Amino acid sequence: MNRKTFFGFAAPSSFVMFVLLIFPLVYAIWLGTNFITFNTINEPRFVGLENFQTILRDPLFWAAMRWTLLIIAITVPTHLFLGFSFALLLDQFQGRIRAFYMAALLMPMIVVPLIGMIVFRQLFDPPGLFAYIYRLITGGIFVFTPLSIQTLIVIHTIWIYTPWAIVLFFAGMQSLPGDQIDASAIDGASRLQQVRHIIVPHLRALIILAAAIGIMDAFRLYDNVFALTRNNPIFGANTIMVFNYNVAFSVNRLGLANATAIIATIAIMVALIPFLYYMYREQIEAR
Amino acid sequence: MQPFKNPVTRVFLHIGMLIAVVYSTLPFAWTLLNSFKTKKDAIARPPKISFEPNLTSYKDLMIESVPENAALIVFVLLAILVVLVLLAVKAKRFPILNWVVVGVLAIVFWTIPNFVDTAEIYDNFLNTIIICVGAIIISVSIGALAGYGLARYAGFAAVVLVILAIGLRSLPRLGFLLPYFQLGQSSGLYDTHFLVILALVAIQQPFTIVMMGSIFRLVPPDLEEAAMIDGASRLGAFIRVVVPIMWPGIFAISLFTLLVSYQEFLLVRILTQSNQTLTVGMSAYVGGLAVPGSIPRQSGAAVLSALPLVIVLLIFQKQFVKGLTAGAVKG
Repeated sequence: MNRKTFFGFAAPSSFVMFVLLIFPLVYAIWLGTNFITFNTINEPRFVGLENFQTILRDPLFWAAMRWTLLIIAITVPTHLFLGFSFALLLDQFQGRIRAFYMAALLMPMIVVPLIGMIVFRQLFDPPGLFAYIYRLITGGIFVFTPLSIQTLIVIHTIWIYTPWAIVLFFAGMQSLPGDQIDASAIDGASRLQQVRHIIVPHLRALIILAAAIGIMDAFRLYDNVFALTRNNPIFGANTIMVFNYNVAFSVNRLGLANATAIIATIAIMVALIPFLYYMYREQIEAR
Repeated sequence: MQPFKNPVTRVFLHIGMLIAVVYSTLPFAWTLLNSFKTKKDAIARPPKISFEPNLTSYKDLMIESVPENAALIVFVLLAILVVLVLLAVKAKRFPILNWVVVGVLAIVFWTIPNFVDTAEIYDNFLNTIIICVGAIIISVSIGALAGYGLARYAGFAAVVLVILAIGLRSLPRLGFLLPYFQLGQSSGLYDTHFLVILALVAIQQPFTIVMMGSIFRLVPPDLEEAAMIDGASRLGAFIRVVVPIMWPGIFAISLFTLLVSYQEFLLVRILTQSNQTLTVGMSAYVGGLAVPGSIPRQSGAAVLSALPLVIVLLIFQKQFVKGLTAGAVKG
């Protein structure tokens, strides 16, 4: 295929991405330098970089940023580990029983995350099952405090992202080098050593990909915080996305919200540059 | 890795797997149970496991009032269902019947509100169908073209497009959503299906083209080259030769698009006021912290909102898993 045909095939998609992704992003930068509220949505007033300064001085923004980074630091390694273990376990089964286990494990992902959180929460509401078990064990009553809410959000985040990691690693394990594993078994390698020295290196690219996707998605957390706290800031559980939404639709400052979105975008780009560079190298080599 | 042979170890493996199953499905089981309770049973302590099931919450959620000729309507719907099942069984012999089945289903869904006083969740259901089908058709058709280009062209421009796509996929949604909101408000497109579909297509396009690229790389180029020697154009060869071969893969990616479109909450919430999807309609049942709200009603709404997607994806589980891994394993 020559260059011209390639541009022809890629044109519709590139056009959509340019008009609906790149242009809005540039537009967001411009909106971020204006003072806009809902009442004056069609007559923005230019204020320069003031919005960016306001956001960077806002302690709530930094609290949201710290909380988002904490979520990433806890959930990404945990869901990768759980996904890897479950995938190893799933690999031990065959046929119909494997399909059944797979279907059950996929449930947290198939059910809408918002509903997943509501469902999760019902277990901890005063009449719920876990609230009851908690009372049996500790004698105290389970209440929603900042700490318990944050814990629930972390657990739920791990819960919804684990299925994705399971599927990814499980697919990777279908192409393991069988002869290497057989050879290592003859040489007396234990199963743990096989995992450590053959399976993990074989899945290296997938693990990096899953980690990068985990970081991207954690920056996007909104649904589960909303379902648990209705975006109430007193629980200290507002992620960057929730903080941003509140600035736009509760505080009613669209310009400020756009500035926040741009700063968040820059933050995630900085975090992902090593990954993008790795992808770039891989693509160039594959050529 | 080799499967374990020792029967005792196998038992432990099954126990481990069952723990994983409970871990992923227990919350749903609890909510399903709650949706059949009365209000009184739902707040009983200790929590009731066995109780007399009751369907009030579902009835309240689905219809405003029971129509007078309910028996007749149920009978007609059942008759249509039986005919459709018969048609679907015969459909293997006459491929055109598939479209008849889809058409009849669409007509039935759209005419039900004329006979029965349906509640809001039904409108949300119809909106969800329109938005998901629209997003899938547009996203998959333009994504397939670009993906095919990526699979066959090895120049520098292709690398740039892939890296750009991955970069765009990683950006937080509000960077795009607030401009959409602003543009929608000033152009009058706000609260239309069209804007939501466009926005959904746009945010998924980066990942779609990467996935499409990885599945089309599996087709040997000789096939379409043979067709081109016979006089077909590049596009003609793509549509008549490559697409039919890769139809399972395209279907799998459509399922992934369905998953993302159906589950999207923030985007639809910001861009719509009345034309909401099931996922956003669900947010009306999210109580504050102190008041859990009516638990059976909330549970019933959760079950009804999640069910259509769960049914579709479990029927096509195999293809869905394949679609999930298409973008990951190679690319």
